[in-house]
Amino acid sequence: MKKYFGGCDVGSTYTKCVILDEDGNMAAHTTMKSKMNSEKSARAAMEETLAQVPGLDSPEDLAYLIGTGYGRNKVPFAQENISEISCHAMGVHMTDPKVRAIIDIGGQDIKGIAIDTDGTVKNFAMNDKCAAGTGRFYETMANAFEMSLPEFSKLSLTAKNVIPITAQCTVFAESEVITLVGEGKPMNEIAAGIQRSVAKRCFIMAKKAGATDSVTLTGGCAKNDGLKKAIEQVLKLKVVDLKTDPQLMGALGAAEYARQKGLAKGKGR
Amino acid sequence: MKDLKHLYDLEQLLQECNNDLVKEACEKGQIAVGDVCSMIPEVLLNLPGCFSVRLRAPRTGSIEIGTYYMTSLLCEYCRALVERAVEGGYNFLDCIIAPDACAAMNRCVENMELLKTCEKEKFFVTYSDVPMKSDETALKHYVRQMRLRVLEPLHDVYGIDVSDAALLEAVEQHNKVCRLIRELGEFRKEEYPRITGYEFYIFCLATYCCPKDMLLPILEETLEEVREREPDQEKTYRIRVLLAGSEIDDLDFIKLIEDNGALIVADRHCFGSFPGRDEIKICEGEDLLTQICRHYMVTGQCPRFMNTEKVEERKDYADRLAKEYHADGIIYEQMKFCDYWGYERMAASHIMHEEYGYPVLSIDRPYVVGSSGQLRTRVQAFVESVEIKKIQGGR
Repeated sequence: MKKYFGGCDVGSTYTKCVILDEDGNMAAHTTMKSKMNSEKSARAAMEETLAQVPGLDSPEDLAYLIGTGYGRNKVPFAQENISEISCHAMGVHMTDPKVRAIIDIGGQDIKGIAIDTDGTVKNFAMNDKCAAGTGRFYETMANAFEMSLPEFSKLSLTAKNVIPITAQCTVFAESEVITLVGEGKPMNEIAAGIQRSVAKRCFIMAKKAGATDSVTLTGGCAKNDGLKKAIEQVLKLKVVDLKTDPQLMGALGAAEYARQKGLAKGKGR
Repeated sequence: MKDLKHLYDLEQLLQECNNDLVKEACEKGQIAVGDVCSMIPEVLLNLPGCFSVRLRAPRTGSIEIGTYYMTSLLCEYCRALVERAVEGGYNFLDCIIAPDACAAMNRCVENMELLKTCEKEKFFVTYSDVPMKSDETALKHYVRQMRLRVLEPLHDVYGIDVSDAALLEAVEQHNKVCRLIRELGEFRKEEYPRITGYEFYIFCLATYCCPKDMLLPILEETLEEVREREPDQEKTYRIRVLLAGSEIDDLDFIKLIEDNGALIVADRHCFGSFPGRDEIKICEGEDLLTQICRHYMVTGQCPRFMNTEKVEERKDYADRLAKEYHADGIIYEQMKFCDYWGYERMAASHIMHEEYGYPVLSIDRPYVVGSSGQLRTRVQAFVESVEIKKIQGGR
């Protein structure tokens, strides 16, 4: 029987699963909202992913499985866990081996990652406890605009001018935005200002990690075109688009590590 | 590995600054001296009749009160100490001997004094000037300050014997503690160490926070126990690291690092065994206090020392420790807003990587780490990258 390998990325906002076959082809994937309990998130996402591959009924049917993400040590069926920093690097390397730098914007943190030629991490930088510029930040901002995130992103792209947002803190930025809206400033320009402020946050991480010529975005926020545009303007670097869903990079990297380790062990489970 | 007999008790003991051993010593009439910096020679605070307690604020939650008095731009260690002092956590102290080492600590102790957080009748605070350069001129001033700000007040207020005989007794006790701690630490050089960094840290930290005479039998017994201890047959760590940086008294921080696969084989920080547990070598023919002060000035590795020789020495010191204890990498940590380490950490993490070739993880952290997911991820990613480079044959 064909062997399959799994990666389960339990993030603070979304849980992602990827299943690879022996040749590294993606056989299935899932992205779903995380629950309060990381273990339940992992189980639900994995169940949905397994259902996409005929012959796979439970996580035990996978030859090797690795957990990653914020809840990586709460994935009950994983043989081991690997940090999301290593997994994002590997996921991107599999998707586009030419990419040397990543900005990963997840639900609660921003990371700058430099990748070596073999997909391993060369250097990384990460924000601390503050949620400024993360997915949570965007959720709060979109709520203030009474919009969905895609609508917010689209709105920011229509701006001709940018109204700078001075506060980095999520709470203060929200009140600043509410004040600006109250003053009757154009909504699209405020939205562009928010994108610019996050891009500046990314600038720090990308520079700390050592990004030089181009960069790619991963994590849920990578789907935000307004942010991508702002990053290109602020970093003055080309943002490389990935062929595979950038939100899946952590799970894909975990699955690839599982594939390499599973095959190296020969037998799997 | 089999659990160490005294480990759990000491772990519990370290949850309080005014712990059971401290209480017992106070009940016996010993004078409790609050210590806040390595620049005050610890032996001078451990003369017969008194004992030092390096101030900590374990189990700190919010530090709002400390922040009110100190502002949010000063180091969290100092803010946490003020918070704990206001909560009444240092009421057991008979005095605090502080150096003019950094502005933040100075303000911290001043606040404790002004807010009258210690209620004992004869309680006093002194501030002394300590060297920023390591040379003979600085030494002369250092010695004068220690006599004036430490020995004389202890003698005048509490009748502590500050004679040479008493100093010598304190040095001998200090050296005994150092020998035991260093010997325990030596086991971390082994490929399959019979003591973990976390276990070692508990014993080492206790030597800063508990009366030494009460701790000595515990250390002696533990050393025997570790000598006989069977190490795990399988490696329980993924990489070996030197932990260098500012003040660390948070057990959870050490645990977090080791839980993520990095065994701390050498510790070079304010509460660590390097250089804090260096023995003091005494020779005849020179004033004893001068010799003690010289020891602290010469062996001190605080970034507060700003002469070029000391700045260079600090990198070589880290390099020597990393080699001696077979470290695969270095973790440089710094308390947020620590003026001295803010610069030192940035420069050292760059130089140790670029010029000495070590993988380096650079962290600025709050006083209490708790269960920081971000920090856990950073350490684990560092471990993974060092491990992969090791497999690939590089450092």
